[in-house]
Amino acid sequence: MGDATREAEPRVDGKDAQVNQDVLIMEQQRQIEEEISDAIPLVGAKEDLLGTLEKEYISDPIYSMKAKDLSSKYNSIRRTRPDGNCFFRAFAYAYFERLLTCKDDYKGFYDIVSKSKDDLIELGFPQFTLEDFYETFMEVVERIGSGDMTQDELYELFNNQGQSNYIVVYLRLITSGKLQRDADFYLNFIDGNRTMTAFCHQEVEPMFKESDHIHIIALSAALNVGVRVRYMDRGDSAQVIAHDFPEGATPAVHLLYRPGHYDILYEQ
Amino acid sequence: MMAGPGPQPTGSAVRALGLEYRSLQEEPVEGFRVKLVNEDNLFEWEVAIFGPPDTLYQGGYFKAHMKFPADYPYSPPSIRFLTKVWHPNVYENGDLCISILHPPVDDPQSGELPCERWNPTQNVRTILLSVISLLNEPNTSSPANVDASVMYRRFKDSKGRDKEYENIIRKQVSAARLEAEKDGVVVPLTLEDYCRKPKAKAAEPPVDMTDFYVDDYDIGDDDDDLDMGDSDAGDDGDDSGNGES
Repeated sequence: MGDATREAEPRVDGKDAQVNQDVLIMEQQRQIEEEISDAIPLVGAKEDLLGTLEKEYISDPIYSMKAKDLSSKYNSIRRTRPDGNCFFRAFAYAYFERLLTCKDDYKGFYDIVSKSKDDLIELGFPQFTLEDFYETFMEVVERIGSGDMTQDELYELFNNQGQSNYIVVYLRLITSGKLQRDADFYLNFIDGNRTMTAFCHQEVEPMFKESDHIHIIALSAALNVGVRVRYMDRGDSAQVIAHDFPEGATPAVHLLYRPGHYDILYEQ
Repeated sequence: MMAGPGPQPTGSAVRALGLEYRSLQEEPVEGFRVKLVNEDNLFEWEVAIFGPPDTLYQGGYFKAHMKFPADYPYSPPSIRFLTKVWHPNVYENGDLCISILHPPVDDPQSGELPCERWNPTQNVRTILLSVISLLNEPNTSSPANVDASVMYRRFKDSKGRDKEYENIIRKQVSAARLEAEKDGVVVPLTLEDYCRKPKAKAAEPPVDMTDFYVDDYDIGDDDDDLDMGDSDAGDDGDDSGNGES
């Protein structure tokens, strides 16, 4: 498959030795992404949890068992597109959806995010472009606060690629900002001898980079929003193990993790 | 729609490029000028970079094409010099290799020194400032032009006594200056002129970005050739672009 792609690449000035491998990888990734994006919306409709998962794991006893366990706590699931942004998009959608009805949490959240821009500029992000992302993000937050947003509109907005991705970008920046500010603490969680800034440049700020625990801890701490992740994997336990971020926080957002991907869960 | 293969440009790309282009027309940055290769296409820019004073590149005028991907600003643009540039990080065909334009894929050098990487807040301004700083401070750890890299190291290690590298650069710079003259461009030679902000263009009606669609955008008038115009005194606090490795 990789070879076919390479041969199809036109030679530039007879210098195929100089063809940038990264460009080829990007091209192939792009093709895969396109296939995924044709098949799965950025944020899907709410689906019945047990029905959906049982169908998916009909020939898989371990996962079927876990699906049953999960359905004793949650009744619906909402899928997100597996494009590397799924944690951020699932988080944003689930929390914004909650803010539509849970007005008590709004004020605190608003205060935190409206102050975030200056912190990020101070960290060296270019103001001109940062402001564009910030304003798009705040426009959505303010619409939610003013009651000028329905469930359907939120759903549409998150499936509009431009707006949806701008929200993801801004959450990535907030995450990067938190990691850099509290680098002394977060450095304990990363492998190798990268600096925190390098880690953020490579693993947090670029779009389509998958999230790890460290991203979740930093974002939930930065926004003071509790996240419960349910881990569904091949482990022995019949239970679907829960992790809360930050530790001990009351979860406002529930996500289902299956290796490599996050979806949104809705409690009973 | 847009020419060329590949995915359809997203609304984000048109929006981001429109905003940047407009802002660089209204508030040009020291050291470089930009214009569109073709008025109907926001995805290809011609840029002219002035060699920074007090470096080998002083007085140089380096033209390059910047090509933006359909999913800009999530992926970086590419830069190819049109002017001949002998430099460790420029391929023979003019393609520039610089960390800030490195696509955000997994790469084996993840342990390398922290350097600027692409992220969606990077923009033409930050890229070109990095390029200007790279001109004078090549990155010889992963050269695109090995011969230039070896020659540059000899030049550096001999503290400038081995002049081969310097001579080639000076030759290219004077050739580029002739090119500038042909274009009617005055290349700033002193640090003071270089950092001076050129007078902004006469006020144009603001473009309403909400009406900014691929098919019907309008990029102002025709007079955005790369002339320096009169310089307007006045300092600006803009980033000098230093600190890039």
